[in-house]
Amino acid sequence: MKPSIISPKLAPLFGILSVILGWQLVATLIHAPLLLPSPGTTLAELRALAGTGDFWHHLGVTLVRGVAGFGIAFLTGLTVGIVAGRFRAAGEFLRPIIVFIRSTPVMSVIILALIWFRRETVPIFVIFLMAFPIVVQNVMEGIRGIDPELREMVKVFRVGKYRSFTRLYLPGLAPFLAAGVSAGLGLTWKVLIAAEVLSYPKWGIGSQMDTARVFLQTEKVFAWTLVVIALGLIFDYLLEFLLKLPFAKWRRSAHD
Amino acid sequence: MIKVERLEKSFGPLRVLDGLSLEFPEGKITALLGPSGCGKTTLLNIIAGLGHPDAGAVHCPEMISYLFQEPRLIPWLTVRGNIALVLEDKMPQEAAVREVSYYLSATGLEAYAEFYPSQLSGGLRQRVAMARAFAYQAPLLLMDEPFKSLDLRTRFRMLKDFIALWQIRPRTVITVTHDLKEGLWLGDQVILLTDKPARVARRVMLDIPREERLGDHRVLTLENELTELILESI
Repeated sequence: MKPSIISPKLAPLFGILSVILGWQLVATLIHAPLLLPSPGTTLAELRALAGTGDFWHHLGVTLVRGVAGFGIAFLTGLTVGIVAGRFRAAGEFLRPIIVFIRSTPVMSVIILALIWFRRETVPIFVIFLMAFPIVVQNVMEGIRGIDPELREMVKVFRVGKYRSFTRLYLPGLAPFLAAGVSAGLGLTWKVLIAAEVLSYPKWGIGSQMDTARVFLQTEKVFAWTLVVIALGLIFDYLLEFLLKLPFAKWRRSAHD
Repeated sequence: MIKVERLEKSFGPLRVLDGLSLEFPEGKITALLGPSGCGKTTLLNIIAGLGHPDAGAVHCPEMISYLFQEPRLIPWLTVRGNIALVLEDKMPQEAAVREVSYYLSATGLEAYAEFYPSQLSGGLRQRVAMARAFAYQAPLLLMDEPFKSLDLRTRFRMLKDFIALWQIRPRTVITVTHDLKEGLWLGDQVILLTDKPARVARRVMLDIPREERLGDHRVLTLENELTELILESI
């Protein structure tokens, strides 16, 4: 391969920089802060927001909603996925249901949730319904992917159920679990904001964005958007870090 | 007495076992010889409870150890962890630790105790599987061509170590192989099976001590005889 002009390590930095530059350029050219506030204006707005106590309250409530919604989806998805992976009939039974849920437009779910639930609960329900099938599918695949020869081995040597689970199934499942959590969480933040915008609970980033829209405070919409992006990125890094912990030793040795 | 009686097993139209009856003397090694795919693995799996016969009966102890053709080690457990896995549910923790250490040293694996399977050669992995198979205290040990994929040197060393270990910790062994020499060196009882469906073509008891078998004229005669039997059946 030809040596590139910039080192691959610095390339992402240049990527981010070019987006900011492009943003600044377009903002300067059209010169309409109502349509497109400049990066500087957005940052200033963000700083002003962060100085208020309400900002942290909104952020905290949204965070709790996301974690709660995804937490429920994760726990139920893990349980259902393990059963579906172990028993063929259960997996086949679930398949159409999962396809059905996954094909339902997010907006339909949100609107129906608005009819059925209190506004504070709507985002949690929507996240659950969106993330649940993703977790189930990944866990199911993970369980099915565990080497049948190793399954036979633990059976022959009469390794107890609990020990088989912690020593064989759970570690074997880990990469699939990681994929499921990563995809599920990624969706969580997007769906959460959409649900909050529409359900308009008292506290929450989505409600704040909608208020900003009504008052044409575009820089506020941008500022909140940055906050949501940061939220997603932080959880992504957190996840990556957590997953590296338990099996790091084995992974490292596998690459020797 | 460990035995199987009138075992029948078909896979679709393929009749693999058709009323096969065998006896395995306790505390002895039985070598099952036969062409690949004649139903030897099917037989072992039925004995181990991994498969069910269409008809017939199996009389064998409840606990059975198995040395598979592949090492079948869990990749994220160390050598020590892989052996401990089969012991921990059956004895107190301390006893399991002691047992694992004993078999690690008996198989010359102490230095590799904290290694992961991916860091070991194929021969060493199979050696770990052997240590595990012995550590699991079952009165019956099944072996499905465990030395098949090893190079000649490694294979001989494993065979020697296997016998040494077996003499210290004897138990009934049923080993499947399609290597005549290996079968005649290992077995107290040697059974030659025909191609599908598996039937007993020849059964011999060998009471020549193993260290005298190499080059012994009786063993050589037997080897020729069995070779002829195999050639005739083609």
